[in-house]
Amino acid sequence: MTRLISFVAATLVVATSFIAFAGTAAAHERRTVGPYQLVVGWLNEPAHVGFMNSLDLRVTDTRVTPAKAVEGLEKTLTVELRTGGLAPLPLTVTARFGAPGAYNGYVMPTATGTYIFTIKGKIESLDVNETFESGPGRFGDVESTDTLQYPNKVPMADDLGKRLSDLQGAVDQTRIFALAALVVGIVALGGAGMMVRRRS
Amino acid sequence: MRRALLSAVIAAAVLSLTGGIAAAHANYVKSNPAADARLTRPPTEVRVTFSEPPDARGSDLAVLDIDGKRVDVRDVALVSDEPNTLRVTLGAIADGGYLVSWTALSTVDGHVTKGAFGFALGDAPLPKIPDIGPSALPPTALEIAGRALSYAGMALLTGLAFFTMFIRVPASGAERRRERRLVIAGGAVLLLGSAFLLLGQGANIPGRLLGLLGLRALAGAAAIALVAVPARFLPEDARREAIAFLGLAAGLTATLVSHAAAVGDLGDVAVDYLHVMAISVWLGGVVAFSYVAMPSARGDDPRELGRTIWRFSLTALVAVAVIVTTGTLASFDRLVLFEDLVETPYGIALLAKIVLLVGLLGLGGLNLLVWGPRMRRGLAAGAQFWRGVMGESALFAGVILAAAFLTAFVPPAQASAAAFDETKHVSGIRVQLLAASTLPGRNRFVVRVQQGLTSITGAEKVALRFTMVEHDMGELELVAAERAPGEYVAEGSPTAMFGTWKAEVIVRLAGRSDVRALFTVPISPAAGQDATTKIVAVPPYQLIVFADPFQPQAGAPITINAVVVDAKGDPVLGKKLRAAFDGPATVAPLDAVENVAELGPGRYRFTVPGLEAGSWKVTIGVDGAGSGVYELVVLR
Repeated sequence: MTRLISFVAATLVVATSFIAFAGTAAAHERRTVGPYQLVVGWLNEPAHVGFMNSLDLRVTDTRVTPAKAVEGLEKTLTVELRTGGLAPLPLTVTARFGAPGAYNGYVMPTATGTYIFTIKGKIESLDVNETFESGPGRFGDVESTDTLQYPNKVPMADDLGKRLSDLQGAVDQTRIFALAALVVGIVALGGAGMMVRRRS
Repeated sequence: MRRALLSAVIAAAVLSLTGGIAAAHANYVKSNPAADARLTRPPTEVRVTFSEPPDARGSDLAVLDIDGKRVDVRDVALVSDEPNTLRVTLGAIADGGYLVSWTALSTVDGHVTKGAFGFALGDAPLPKIPDIGPSALPPTALEIAGRALSYAGMALLTGLAFFTMFIRVPASGAERRRERRLVIAGGAVLLLGSAFLLLGQGANIPGRLLGLLGLRALAGAAAIALVAVPARFLPEDARREAIAFLGLAAGLTATLVSHAAAVGDLGDVAVDYLHVMAISVWLGGVVAFSYVAMPSARGDDPRELGRTIWRFSLTALVAVAVIVTTGTLASFDRLVLFEDLVETPYGIALLAKIVLLVGLLGLGGLNLLVWGPRMRRGLAAGAQFWRGVMGESALFAGVILAAAFLTAFVPPAQASAAAFDETKHVSGIRVQLLAASTLPGRNRFVVRVQQGLTSITGAEKVALRFTMVEHDMGELELVAAERAPGEYVAEGSPTAMFGTWKAEVIVRLAGRSDVRALFTVPISPAAGQDATTKIVAVPPYQLIVFADPFQPQAGAPITINAVVVDAKGDPVLGKKLRAAFDGPATVAPLDAVENVAELGPGRYRFTVPGLEAGSWKVTIGVDGAGSGVYELVVLR
């Protein structure tokens, strides 16, 4: 129960900070696709496991100076997110209020590691199919919250899953040992019974 | 007793004289051209160096072009000026990718290993490697049978001699007849096992192996012959001592062609020999007890039988202690991970042997703690003891068979030419990282990925991410390409500074989360003559000069980098540098390229298309100042 309360409290704190600092982009990948420049990263960087986050996509047309924000792409682009070799999750692309050319796609990453955004569809008349993967020189991986938690360490998301899986493994192992002990016990009792019968 | 001790001393002396020179599997260590080398001039020969001496008659180096046509002249021979090295002459070859497919027959135990690597001449792409690294061929049924029979023969001769000398001396004529029959059986299976192994090797058997197997067969034949010698010429106790010596000698021939000998360390050889002898004394003793002693002892006073059991059980306890100790020590050397026990053929055979030995230990424990004490108290327990000994004999056959497989398979810990070689087991995946060098600068990283016994091919991505521990150098990523099934290779200069680097290998497989294995790679300055980074004084400047690759090979492009610094250590820009090469051949002087944007301030680069093998003096002159000499060794 205490852990649940801690989890909810931590979620609220980070969700609040997320709202407060929305729009800041620490490390993003820039890529020119045709005449457009795409900037992709996490909306909230560094991204931490177990907390609400979002794709931060910004598209500008570089044919004009200064570069012009490209609007309306929430209707023509689809975005998928995946980690590792797992099946992708389609994100709902929305235009960011008050920031022309910026788009969101909300998600709560539940595992640490590398994430890949695949952006498909059309930017005006140009077909796009681009993959952006987190990593060095691009945008950040999703990180663990271990080093940030104080004073108590609360297991989060995949960490919790791993611990449950370990616990299940330990339970299975104990069950096997118990079964083996039961068999040995029965055999020993049988042997003892036979010896007693022979002596009598 | 004295003679038995003398036999043991002689055996140990032979062991100390011959141990440490043998090996078990000839693995690729290096080659010229190097694996994946890009050459600008066609080589005239290909050399491959192995971890132990290959036998030229049974080995092969085949150099194939992209169409699979052989371009060598098939004159594979051992090289006199380089140990453990085979060479083959090449005909005239055009620009293109070439595959070197090698087969090495160990002169030690006749094991065959195979592998392949590629090189390219000119701008051609490297050829695809058809198989992963060095791999040993699976053992044949004849080899397994030969090994199992040999080990059974050794155990029978050694164990029987020990049992009849120290545990229970055959008293009756019937017992002595059974003893002789068992000696004949032991000698015959030893002889037969050696014959099977000789047959399995065929005409290409290396001389050393032929000699050792011949000695083993001779030991079997001699044991049989000793039985035929009348007692008036050879008393029973002398015969037993001679048979013990033959058993010890046969065991020595097994150790000298074992995996332990491959390590080349006398301590490992001694540990292996102790292990073989302890198993032989125990298991051979069990068979001697059941076949020679039991039929007579069943009619004895149970107290006497109980005392015999006590003596043998004590011997078995000592043997078990030696087996467990030596076996554990050997496992540390030959296993890489605990999971090897279930994920490698060697480990599975070892696990089977351990399980069978535990079973034997259980039955032995019953004899020692239950049936023996009962019999010493005069209670009837002979039937239970008899069944236990028969069970032990059956398990003994299993142990011998497991040992035959164990010694035929390649241990997971194998010699590697890599400067860094470490294996991790993460989420059920075995990840091995090899680095060609632990020097700063350009390096080649090989990642081998396996799940259980299967190499993982077609991984979606294999990447390496490097971060330095001591300083914040950021994170650098290299993406590896699959060059052979389960083998992924990346080249680059992510570890550019001396210090400790964390290398995280990321393996992406369909349908699962990324597998991440973290390695700690120490990057340190080279010692002695291998150091290629040198300070060259050119007053008033100093030149920091280093070669890339750090160990240049003949015919392959070499880049010589020079950083010009002043007395304060600040880089000096805008200088003109010229290098003159003095070595086995003539090279026209070269001017350095300075590119501040790409190389950095004060950094200059000479690119040489390729040099002849040998020692070179590179005189680097700086305009407006003097010149200094940088010495460079180009490997063959």
